[in-house]
Amino acid sequence: MYRMLLAAGAALMFAVVSRPADAAPGVTIPAYSRTVLDNGVTLVIMPRSEVPLVAFTALVRGGALADADGKAGVASLTAGLLEKGAGARDAYQFADAVEGAGGSLSAAAGTEAITVGGQFLAQDRDLMVELLADALLRPRFEADEFDSLRNRRIEELKAAKDADPSGLIRIYGRALLFGDHPYGRPAGGSERTLAAIAREDVLAYYRANFGADRLTLIFAGDVDPAALTALVTRAFGSWGRASAPLPALATPARISGRRVLLVDQPGAAQTYFWLANTGVARRYADRAALDVVNTLYGGRFTSILNTELRIKSGLSYGAASGFTRGSVPGEFAIRSFTQTDTTGKAIDLALDTLTRLHHGEGLSPEMLDSARSYVLGQFPLQLETASHWVAALAELELYGLDRAYIDGYGAAVGAVDAAAAQRVIADAFPSADDLAIVLIGDAAKIRETAAKYGPLTEMPLAAPDFRAPAVSRPAAE
Amino acid sequence: MYPRIAGGLVAALSFFTLAAVHAAAPDGIRALTLDNGLRIIVWPDRDIPNVALYNYVRVGSRNEAPGITGLAHFFEHMMFNGTETRPPGEFDREMEARGGSNNASTSDDLTIYMDWFPSSALELVFDLEGDRLAHLAFDPKVIESERGVVYSERRLRVEDDNNGFLAEQVQSTAFAAHPYHFPTIGWPSDIEGWTLADLQAFFRTHYAPNNCTFVVVGDVDADQVFALARKYLAPIPRQAPPPAVRTVEPVQPGEKRVTVERRAQTPLLQLAYKAPKADDPRSAALNLLAVILAQGDASRLHRLLVEERKLAVNVDAYLQEGFDPGLFWLFVTLPAGGDPGEVERVIDAEFARLEADGVTEAELTRARNLLSAGYWGQLATINGKARLLGEYEVMHGDYRKLFELPAAIARVKPADIRAVATELLDARHRTVGVLVPAQSGEEG
Repeated sequence: MYRMLLAAGAALMFAVVSRPADAAPGVTIPAYSRTVLDNGVTLVIMPRSEVPLVAFTALVRGGALADADGKAGVASLTAGLLEKGAGARDAYQFADAVEGAGGSLSAAAGTEAITVGGQFLAQDRDLMVELLADALLRPRFEADEFDSLRNRRIEELKAAKDADPSGLIRIYGRALLFGDHPYGRPAGGSERTLAAIAREDVLAYYRANFGADRLTLIFAGDVDPAALTALVTRAFGSWGRASAPLPALATPARISGRRVLLVDQPGAAQTYFWLANTGVARRYADRAALDVVNTLYGGRFTSILNTELRIKSGLSYGAASGFTRGSVPGEFAIRSFTQTDTTGKAIDLALDTLTRLHHGEGLSPEMLDSARSYVLGQFPLQLETASHWVAALAELELYGLDRAYIDGYGAAVGAVDAAAAQRVIADAFPSADDLAIVLIGDAAKIRETAAKYGPLTEMPLAAPDFRAPAVSRPAAE
Repeated sequence: MYPRIAGGLVAALSFFTLAAVHAAAPDGIRALTLDNGLRIIVWPDRDIPNVALYNYVRVGSRNEAPGITGLAHFFEHMMFNGTETRPPGEFDREMEARGGSNNASTSDDLTIYMDWFPSSALELVFDLEGDRLAHLAFDPKVIESERGVVYSERRLRVEDDNNGFLAEQVQSTAFAAHPYHFPTIGWPSDIEGWTLADLQAFFRTHYAPNNCTFVVVGDVDADQVFALARKYLAPIPRQAPPPAVRTVEPVQPGEKRVTVERRAQTPLLQLAYKAPKADDPRSAALNLLAVILAQGDASRLHRLLVEERKLAVNVDAYLQEGFDPGLFWLFVTLPAGGDPGEVERVIDAEFARLEADGVTEAELTRARNLLSAGYWGQLATINGKARLLGEYEVMHGDYRKLFELPAAIARVKPADIRAVATELLDARHRTVGVLVPAQSGEEG
């Protein structure tokens, strides 16, 4: 039993990136090399010799953006199958090769890229490159493995609905907020879309979206850059291009007014809620101010949201907010939960905090100073290991960011003043009147409350999809 | 730049290829016991300009009784809610304003307080930690609001999570006498019933300096840390040690079963075998057995149940190691319509095969390497170092035993795995929990 949910407190919702508060020098990216092979593969290497391990991430651009309509989850199944037999190894032999060396290698589809990440001992460098090249260039996509993985993914979603409503609410929320825009599709698919996917869809996805021009390989750890470059060039240097262009991505609209989705779980002890609108993109110029203000509003224990919903009222175990920032704006979302009887009270309080934020409450010079220190003080903890650096470099690569994104961050946070805070509140934080709202709970008990917040759509939690059948909206403005 | 860490890692990692290496504790670690009995361990590590500070308090739900179940965990929450000089909320406000964050956790055996902060806030954090150990105060209004917070946590982890709900039933069934019977989060009626007097008595009994172990890892100097400990922690008076947990769980005379009917799409099966305490010579072999059975796609039960027979969506193993003999858990999630009885029969047949034929050298090598990779992965951060040092000091009696783990893992032979499997995986000493989807809307 933890005092705070680790997921809500740190990793998942908040891309809080910061630098030491009182230590002047801050964090500077250690030396690394970036080269582009003749066939278009981008290779990034950061030597870190203090630990005899190598961490890696392979980014294949496209991800769930390239899923066909009605077949959300194709990229995710394609990613999962990369580990299920490749090159000379069947699924078991592949897993045994990775695990037998004490290594890790796992593939997953994100919204904008498939990533294959992991870590091996430096002494197993050649094996690591061989397995990575097999997974990316020579996956088997065997029919049995396809059936097995697809069916298991469907059952995993059912199991998650029995055990983790708070973990699923964002998927419902993005479907409600973004509608038919690719950000509205569940990257992992739904029970319905997964059931509609055939092995041929995976093969087609692979042909269209895998190739040298889509691939970025990032390594950090105990490696000799020249030797690793030679190894990678041999393994990947003759790979052809993906047959399809990278999917274009429209900017999703911000919604006006409110819409409410009630997901019914009869007998639920609590109501889980999520309030959101479209926010800002990864390249948002005022990101330092955004992080400082979100820290104050919903990004740390003493935040305005957690103070109201947990500390002062005891209504919830936790309340938090965060931005998901992609190549185009993702969502700003508030999320929390409370027992069924206090659903209305908790949501009213959350909405009230948002209105007060727009009125500038809680933004005293003292509080801004505290939030700046917090953001800076927690930053080095996120850039401590080779795995951390691989993730940071992957973020720069995927979103086309300059190294100043990290190197200049400390100074940028230090310079956030009240004017900058007011600017990002007006610019990036939604009005309490314009929100997509999802509630998962016992509909018979909270339906009337839910309807107070806007036009209501309802669906059962057990339904095989993340959106009510009738909901469909234009994708972009 | 980080000679002790790198040295330790290199020496220990070489056991991947060499049979057995005894990795000594890195030179820089120093430990001190204050006159009041508070133990403090320091590992300087200047990789990043931050510090991880852990306070391991030897109290958990194991130290509870009927009527106050969940109190150790509730108390953990109250440790952030004010002292005689700092009003409720001040602890977090001061720490966050100086760039620090914190968390805390409670288990059957321990309550652990954790702070992560820039090294410039070191003295403030010692002041805050010393203040709440010496001068904790209880505001009745805050007790009531925090009661709601903890109840919400219970609803999240137990009432609205079928895995958590079933595990609570299995654990309370497995232990008839020992307080591991109590759920750490507490039974609902106790959550509603705790009083101010309960909290005050709990504080007096368990929050003595001689019941605490501090671990400080990061951008610090050991003498500087010891000086701060003398200033902020040494004045807290030693107390009589808390009463020992006397109850010993009697040998389980036969299999126990518990069935839960709940709204669900997917059935669950949990098998909980009685297992030794943490500080047991069989610990390394048991941890390796857990990896062989259920960690990774090449593990036995994953391969058998998930990939080959397709009877399960997921299978996990977990060895619950505490001060007293605990449980070795298997958690199986079945697909909708799946038959828990069939899964149980397949597992039993596989365990019979394991006891008859043992494990291969390749299986053991895989488990050793995975376990070791996880170990060194944890030691790559100041947070992981602090957590592991504290765990070994408190659970195993000496932080230096942490550095014996690689050699202990390397020494385990296939015959040892077979022996512990035969001893542990005995159906007479297990509790079987099954969650079956309710047929109607009726459920607990």
